[in-house]
Amino acid sequence: MEISVYVHIPFCRQKCYYCDFPSATGSREMQKEYTKALCQEIAAQGSSLSGETITTLYIGGGTPTLLADELLADILLALRQAFDWSEMAEVTIEANPGTVTREKLDMLRQGGINRISFGIQSFDDELLKRIGRIHSGVEAKAAVKLARAAGFENISLDLMYGLPGQSLKQLKASVETALALEIEHISIYGLQLEEGTMLAQLQQQGTLELPTEEAVETMYDYITGELPRCGYERYEISNFARRGFASRHNLGYWLDRPYIGLGAAAHSYYQNRRFANLSAAAEYMASVFSGKTVAFEEESMTREILMEEFCFLALRTSQGILADAFARKFACSLWSVYGEIISQLTNQKLLQADENGCRLTGLGMKYGNQVFAAFLLDD
Amino acid sequence: MQTKNIRNFSIIAHIDHGKSTIADRLIEYTGALSAREMEAQVLDSMELERERGITIKAQTVRLNYKGKDGDMYELNLIDTPGHVDFTYEVSRSLAACEGALLVVDAAQGVEAQTLANVYMALENDLEIIPVINKIDLPSAEPELVKREIEDIIGLDTSDAVLASAKSGIGIEAILDQIVEKIPAPAGDPEKPLRALIFDSNFDSYKGAIAHIRVIDGCIKPGMTLKMMATGKTFEVTDIGSFCPAPVNMPELSAGQVGFIAGSLKNVKDVRVGDTVTSAARPAAEALPGYRGVNPMVYCGLYPVDSADYDNLKDALEKLQLNDAALMFEPETSVALGFGYRCGFLGLLHMDVIQERLEREYNLKLITTAPSVIYHVYKTNGEMIRIDNPANLPPTTEIEHIEEPYVKATVIVPNDYVGAVMEISQEKRGEFKNMDYLDVNRVMIIYHIPLNEIIYDYFDRLKSSTRGYASLDYELADYRPSKLVKLDILLNGEAVDALSNIVHTDRAAMRGRQLAAKLKGIIPQQMFEIPIQAAVGNKIIARETVRAMRKDVLAKCYGGDISRKRKLLEKQKEGKKRMKSVGSVEVPQEAFMAILKID
Repeated sequence: MEISVYVHIPFCRQKCYYCDFPSATGSREMQKEYTKALCQEIAAQGSSLSGETITTLYIGGGTPTLLADELLADILLALRQAFDWSEMAEVTIEANPGTVTREKLDMLRQGGINRISFGIQSFDDELLKRIGRIHSGVEAKAAVKLARAAGFENISLDLMYGLPGQSLKQLKASVETALALEIEHISIYGLQLEEGTMLAQLQQQGTLELPTEEAVETMYDYITGELPRCGYERYEISNFARRGFASRHNLGYWLDRPYIGLGAAAHSYYQNRRFANLSAAAEYMASVFSGKTVAFEEESMTREILMEEFCFLALRTSQGILADAFARKFACSLWSVYGEIISQLTNQKLLQADENGCRLTGLGMKYGNQVFAAFLLDD
Repeated sequence: MQTKNIRNFSIIAHIDHGKSTIADRLIEYTGALSAREMEAQVLDSMELERERGITIKAQTVRLNYKGKDGDMYELNLIDTPGHVDFTYEVSRSLAACEGALLVVDAAQGVEAQTLANVYMALENDLEIIPVINKIDLPSAEPELVKREIEDIIGLDTSDAVLASAKSGIGIEAILDQIVEKIPAPAGDPEKPLRALIFDSNFDSYKGAIAHIRVIDGCIKPGMTLKMMATGKTFEVTDIGSFCPAPVNMPELSAGQVGFIAGSLKNVKDVRVGDTVTSAARPAAEALPGYRGVNPMVYCGLYPVDSADYDNLKDALEKLQLNDAALMFEPETSVALGFGYRCGFLGLLHMDVIQERLEREYNLKLITTAPSVIYHVYKTNGEMIRIDNPANLPPTTEIEHIEEPYVKATVIVPNDYVGAVMEISQEKRGEFKNMDYLDVNRVMIIYHIPLNEIIYDYFDRLKSSTRGYASLDYELADYRPSKLVKLDILLNGEAVDALSNIVHTDRAAMRGRQLAAKLKGIIPQQMFEIPIQAAVGNKIIARETVRAMRKDVLAKCYGGDISRKRKLLEKQKEGKKRMKSVGSVEVPQEAFMAILKID
């Protein structure tokens, strides 16, 4: 069986103002201990999952590249030893442009990493400062070039729109800079204010100036028009790639493939069950070292829940829900469960359906949540 | 128990004057419940009653008390609601008693609603025992209040009990006066059975339970009884009293109060006001019973989920069993589908029923704005009664419309007379009379359209008199009025459930306010939604709910699907509380928006 593996590194030099994901600065000592715990979990999971082949691996965070080279090398080695890897495996690491050196990039390449995803967000220094990023636009460009020089042939950038004070012009400039770097993949996310973040706090104080809904919509329209025009296919709501460079790891989340999460706060989906690891790093480490379990099952998955998730996750991709795949998994026809909902959403021009299945229209992508919510079945 | 040792009484009091606390003290003092079993305000057993601190349903309790003469007495307390909407409940309770305690707050004095209930008790020839409560408050003025009672009601207060239920002062004196002053029931246990049903409830095990006052004769288990109005016969299995929990007894005889249950499966078999007699030895004549009660306020109740239609019907039938004032009949709305037009005694009554349906029967409901009954005189000479604005005929067929006016009695400290007059004037009221009750309390009488009362008259009155005003009203007459139908259009289509009838002079302002209010209530949707207010074909106000620009979550943190799912579930839950009207999703509260504008 083929599976994906996600490895979480919960450390950052500084917390970005929009981020509510578990991460902390963490001392060198802490990072070292965490790596030890992580390698221990990797080894344990490796032996219980023998027989599975890793087709994609994703090291995310946090900022994985914040770890010292030798710690990253330890983690990669542990993963090599614990799991069978497919020869074609897609192996991604997330990187902050402010944390990479040529030496680090060389080491990652040698350790088997073949895809690098830079969290750039914007090339505009003013905006970067406003959202708490630790790097400049110039550093970001340099980091991408450095990765290319180190031999990375699959580079991705994350950009954001709807940032405080951001104009369409600024967004265009960032997108153009990204395109000029001739990278393979772009993820682009609209800013969301999450509870407990610095930006949410500023919003409450009334000192946050966000672009109007109309301006954000214009940015969205620009991105979803411009990137495909320049050869980046929109294969998922927020992801664009040159032909052959869609992220197989991310697609796995949407297309009902099993994945194992390792490290604090990592999530797993295996044999139709969902698990979450302890989210606080300290608690996670303590549990690993004392031999206690770190993964806890989330709500138990009924057949209905599995169906709902199968559908609303698949709908995020350009291929949408494949009727065949649904029928194979649930031994019943997609139309018998969702026929009425699909035709209703088709009438609203949110979905496009044919005998192969159904997928979001352009309008549907814009109002995706409305469609996804409609796929939740009544109890 | 011999009838000479039975006393049946109720308590008349304004909200907050301490009726429930006095009842609790009486229960405690006579040992019907140990202190440990006492939960504050035992009689207000409905969750809703405790929360709101009001009594909605009449409740009864039997107290055993040893009088000064050394005899044991059976005192039956029949509790009554105190709010203006529940006058009907009060009249039912009073008919089962020979006496009443009149409880007046020593600091507040007589209130409008108390007055109405005392007059009702006097009409029923009840012996009234004045009780001045809360005498230990620093602001208590018992002498002033006594004089007020003598001046306004004409009762002798020389023997009035000075009490503080909270501190337990005067409780024994109250019990002694009940024994000494209230006459024993006059019935004859040897005569053929006649018992008055003054209330009822439904128990899922025992079926319908009748709360009765036996006038003549005696009931024992196994007897076959007959309802004199419906003709229904049944065998009694359970007989008992409320102590305050229901306790089975071997019999109930003339003068006693309690409950009976038997093979009464259908809630409709037990009709409040009916007389129960023995099938074997029937009484020649039924008791007078009750006058019918006419609802004053109507609204539509619709299930949010149309599959709940039958459940709603079932719930309404059960509530009607012990709330004869509740009326309902099926109606259909283009916007809301199938539901019921329901008639209520007033706004609080409506509110309480709606909340009980939602809580006790787990129904999600949409309530339309309340309406009064209009008399519409058509050009063809016909007069029709309209309780739903949507059914108002086209203007071309209307000769004129009459609306109900009430006689509103307001009692306030004289500092607030100006405020009361201003609000009443603004509400199209017509000044009738003003009387000084004492040096600083005034009774003001206005004739006001009921339509205005049900909007926000009472709320406004309360807030501009710092809560001092008390209000009572009764239907006065119908008068011609210049009324028009105000329609609301969403996305160009008139929504029948949002129509309302307003006075011509304020149609424009109401239209603007309502449109603005709805704009705040209707959430952004994928398209722009114009909200228009119209009278006839003329648009008098317009607002727009802007389109939602986009609605899609981007990021998925490290495969955390559960988090995504929770957000979607929340979104779906929100949608469930809305009703699709044409292509527009409308939240429940939109249909009550008319009441919330100021």
